[in-house]
Order: sequence, then C-alpha cells, then structure tokens
Amino acid sequence: MKRPPIIPLILPFLFLTSPSSAAKPSPLPPLTGFTAADMPGDAGGAALLRWDSPGEAAEGATIEVYASDTAKPGWVKIAEFPASAHPEKDMDLPFWAWRPAPGRHALAADTSSAFGRPDEAQEIEFKLRLVKGAASVETGPARAVIGGNWFNVSRFNNLVLMLTIIIVFFWTVSHAKRKGLFIRRIAGLDAIDEAIGRATEMGRPIFYSTGIGPMSLVPTIASTSILGEVARKVAQYDTSLKVPHFDPIVMTVCKEVVKQSYLEMERPDSYRDDINFFVSQDQFSFAASVDAMIHREKPAACFFIGHFMAESLLLAEVGATTGAIQIAGTEQESQLPFFFTSCDYTLIGEELYAAGAYLSKDPMLMSTLKVQDFGKAFVMLAVVTGSVLLAAGAVFGWEPLMKIVGQLFKAY
Amino acid sequence: MIFIKKHIPLFICFFVGVLTLGSYYVPNATSENYIEMMNKWENIVAGFAFLLGLMSLFYSHFHKISRKAPGWGYSLFVYVGFLLVVIPAIVSNGQPMKGPDMTSLGWIYRFVFTSLSGTMFAVLAFYIVSTAYRAFRIKSPQAFVLFAAAFMVILGRVPLGQMMWDGVLGWTGYQVTDVIEWLMSVPVVAGRRGIMIGIAIGGIVTALKIIFGIERQYMGKD
Repeated sequence: MKRPPIIPLILPFLFLTSPSSAAKPSPLPPLTGFTAADMPGDAGGAALLRWDSPGEAAEGATIEVYASDTAKPGWVKIAEFPASAHPEKDMDLPFWAWRPAPGRHALAADTSSAFGRPDEAQEIEFKLRLVKGAASVETGPARAVIGGNWFNVSRFNNLVLMLTIIIVFFWTVSHAKRKGLFIRRIAGLDAIDEAIGRATEMGRPIFYSTGIGPMSLVPTIASTSILGEVARKVAQYDTSLKVPHFDPIVMTVCKEVVKQSYLEMERPDSYRDDINFFVSQDQFSFAASVDAMIHREKPAACFFIGHFMAESLLLAEVGATTGAIQIAGTEQESQLPFFFTSCDYTLIGEELYAAGAYLSKDPMLMSTLKVQDFGKAFVMLAVVTGSVLLAAGAVFGWEPLMKIVGQLFKAY
Repeated sequence: MIFIKKHIPLFICFFVGVLTLGSYYVPNATSENYIEMMNKWENIVAGFAFLLGLMSLFYSHFHKISRKAPGWGYSLFVYVGFLLVVIPAIVSNGQPMKGPDMTSLGWIYRFVFTSLSGTMFAVLAFYIVSTAYRAFRIKSPQAFVLFAAAFMVILGRVPLGQMMWDGVLGWTGYQVTDVIEWLMSVPVVAGRRGIMIGIAIGGIVTALKIIFGIERQYMGKD
C-alpha cells in the first residue's frame, strides 16, 4: 500500500498557523474620528473625548480609554464601557452648550483620579481601544490640554435669571422711592405688638431665639433683622428681653443689633449686656437649657425665628405649656408643621424674609418685597407654561421641544 | 468714623458677596480655592468666637450667682459641668480612646453626654403626641380635612389599619397604601414645593439686599 505524501497535508496547516495569519484583517472595525479636547465649563480634571460610532460590527465589544500624562509618560486605563454606550445625544449638557452630532460618541473622561487635578493646565494624551474577546483595535493618541474654565456655560440659564432678578430688584427699589406700595397684612408680625404689650402688662420676660443656624445662613440674618425691630419695641415698653444663643458669632451680631435698637429708642440705660447670652453649641443641650429657662421664668411671649431643626418642637411645646404667645418662623419646611401646631402665629415661607422690611416700614426695604412677588409670579407663569409645553410635546411627540423646555429649567 | 463703621463693612460685604456669587459660575481652581479659603476663615473666626461665647456664658452665670438671682443654684452646675468635662479632656489629651480602652473623656462622652442628648431627643416623642392632640381637634372644616388626612396616614402605617380598610373599603379595589402614597406624593409634595419656592425666592432677595447694602440691620444700622 502506498503511503500518502505528508508534506502536502502539512503545508496548509503550517500556512494557517504561521505568523503571517496576524496580518489577517481584524473582525473589529477601526475607531475613527477620535478627538480629545478640554471639557468645557468644568473645574479641570476632565477631557472631552469624541469618536465615530463603531456601528453594529462592534456589538458586544467594549471600549477602553487610556490616558498618559505627557510630563510622566505611561498609559493608564481610566474608563471602560460597552462600545454602544455614550452617544453624544446622552451627554448631560444643555442645548446652548452642546450640539450632539448623529453617529458620534462622546465621553467626559475623568483624569483627576489618575493624575490629580493641579491648579495649572495639564497636557494629557488619550487613546481608545476597542476590545472583543482576543481581538482589539486601537486609535492613535490624541492630545489635549485640560484645565479649569472661566465660565460654566451650562449655567447660562441660571445667570440670565439672576441678572433679570437683579435688574427687577433695582427697578423696584427705584420705583418704591416714587410711589408707595401696597403690602398685605401678615398676622404673625402684627401680633408682635400684642405679644410685647402682653409681656409688659404681665411683667414677664420675652424670649427670642434665632435658632441653631450660623451667621452665614440667610434665615439667621433675616432673624437678626426681626430681632432689631422686636428690641426697639421692647426698649420702648421697657420690657425684659432674653436672647439665648447657639452660635457665638450670631450672639456677637445680635448684641450689636439689640444695643443699636435701644440707642435708637433713646433707652441706653435699659440695655444690659446679658440680654444676649451664649448657651451651648450642642443642639439638645441648647434645647434643654432654653426649655428649662422658659419653664422657670414663664415668659409672656416667645419668638422662634431662624433656622431650627429637631429642637423646634422641644422649644415650642414647652413654650405652649407655659401659656406664652408664640410667634415662629423658619425656612425648614420639615419643621413648619411643629410650629403650626405649637405656636399662635407662624411665618410661612417668604414671610420670614419679608418680616424685617414689613416691621421697619423702610420704603427701600419694603420695595424689595415686590421683587419676591415678581419672583412668585414668574414661577407661576413658568410652571403653567412649562406644563403646557411639556404636555403638548408629549401629545404630539415633539421630543426636541420637551428637551428644550426641560433643559431651560434644569440646574446644571 | 462713619467711614470705618459703615462704608468699609458695606464694601467688604459687597465685594465678598459678588465674588462668592460669581464663583458659582466660574468653575476653575482659583474660584474653588477662594471658596475653600472663605470656609477656612469662617472656621477660624468661629474658633475665636467660641471663646467669646464661653466668656458670655460664664459672665451671665457669674452674675446670677453673685446677685443670688432666682434659680442661681442651677448656674453652679454650669461651672461644675464645665470642669467635669474639661479636666478629663486635659488628662486624656483630648482622646476618647487609648488603644482598646476608653479614657475618662470617652467615658463621660459616651455615658453622660450621649445619654443626656438621647434623653432630650426621646422627649420629642411625647411632645409629638401632645402636639398631635392639639392639631387634631376639629374646630373648622380645614381642621377636619387635616384630621382626615392624618388619620388616613396613621391608619395605613399599622397592620390593624390595613385590616380595617380591607374589611370596610376592600371592595373598592384600592389598598390603603395606595391612598397614602397618593396623599404623600401629590397634595403633600405640592404644598411643600409651594413653601419651598417662596423660601427660595425670599432667600435670593434677602441675599441681594445684603450684598447691595440695602439691608443693614445686622450691622447695627447706621
């Protein structure tokens, strides 16, 4: 029997396994159109990478993002995701800051975890690698100088709104000088006279708390304004005022405010330095101490105006049991129900901020209340218009309209 | 004098206010460093102000004791309590733990301070009951609506309420949890958002009043 020739049988096998087989085209499509740039409107530490969609041929593949600091070369993998992820239309940027191109992908690549975020701009190289099983293709490196920007374009809507408010603010202030304004009555503030009069008649003290907020909180500042007006009336009636404090800075400011009120009412002799006193910077120690004072001294009136948390009910309920007239106001809407139920009068929402102006009757300050009204009118109009437009977009399938309306009112 | 007392503080307030407002729109490192620096300054000022607070506390209680004001005995506890915490803190070098062992400061913090704070917080539960009693007295149609909504929420939170609902209103096909979910996510959220919007607008306007020097009460006026 004749043996078959071995060489012809082996040859095709050798051909298939020879190194020349690596030259065979990869099953993955190449990644094209890769660019790298600084991420617009950020604080630095991120780059905007863009590339063409690899298409359906890359289904099931992943893209790995590599970065290298040109100052200390060496590739570091900074991200990995499915090849179909991050189409440009999914970028979380508004329409005025971002124009997505169809068939393109984009990624805000964070480099801060790998290379930190120095104050100076960094030059970083990027490359993408498309991987599926053992096969992979790479892009050439793309270089970008990344750093912090001077303007966050995404917040342009917010800036326009802020500038509008400032213009309306000044317009209203100048308008107020010429004409008087109608200000609706606020029952809680009208009751201040009644509360102080009652305290005078009964010969009992008045307690005023600015809450547990620091001086940097707007409600605390609003509260100091109200304290000034209350102190003026207290000085006028020569009643006893006690202002326990949680924050020493607030105490220092309030001392000045109360002192000034007594001076303005020409009662410097009645002013005592211990009207304002520090209690504790621990929430419940403060509440326990003030509760004890209210319980012992049985004040005729209690004011709880400012930033309050869990101690709101602890204070207001003890005040209610002593029979004091209680007037409260806080910006914490979660604490408002406690004040509603325990106090005689509660300043709701913007009334807290309006109180200083309302009590002082200063035309300049009163005019700013009008700005609040304009603000509310704008919000109402925006809510109605936005709802109608979104509903119309949903009914008629106008997705761009829905996107534009949504982005106009979004905080970036 | 008025220049130092009025104009300089107003200028500082305006300058810092505008810079801080602007830093919201400027995202770079300079802006971030500025905000960080301001926070550090605030902490430093707060540290010194705490000493002022402590002095005020001691001063007011000292006067109560010296004048033998009503309840002056309680003022003694301020000094006793202060020493009871400060001396162990000095002895323990400010550390609550030394290896696995608790220092005297740690012991006081855990078994005295935390327990007392917990007690105060627990008192809230009783106050909520007395407040709820006052709130649920039906004196007007609005109070009745409040009571009905609150009763429904209370009912839905306990198994007994669920059983009662199933027995009486089970035929409607709705669960009591559905009703509560609707109450909490529609009327309650609507009311809260209304208040929150008012608060936000008021906050913005107050901030502008301070930045532009229209509101000066916090400076002790003119």
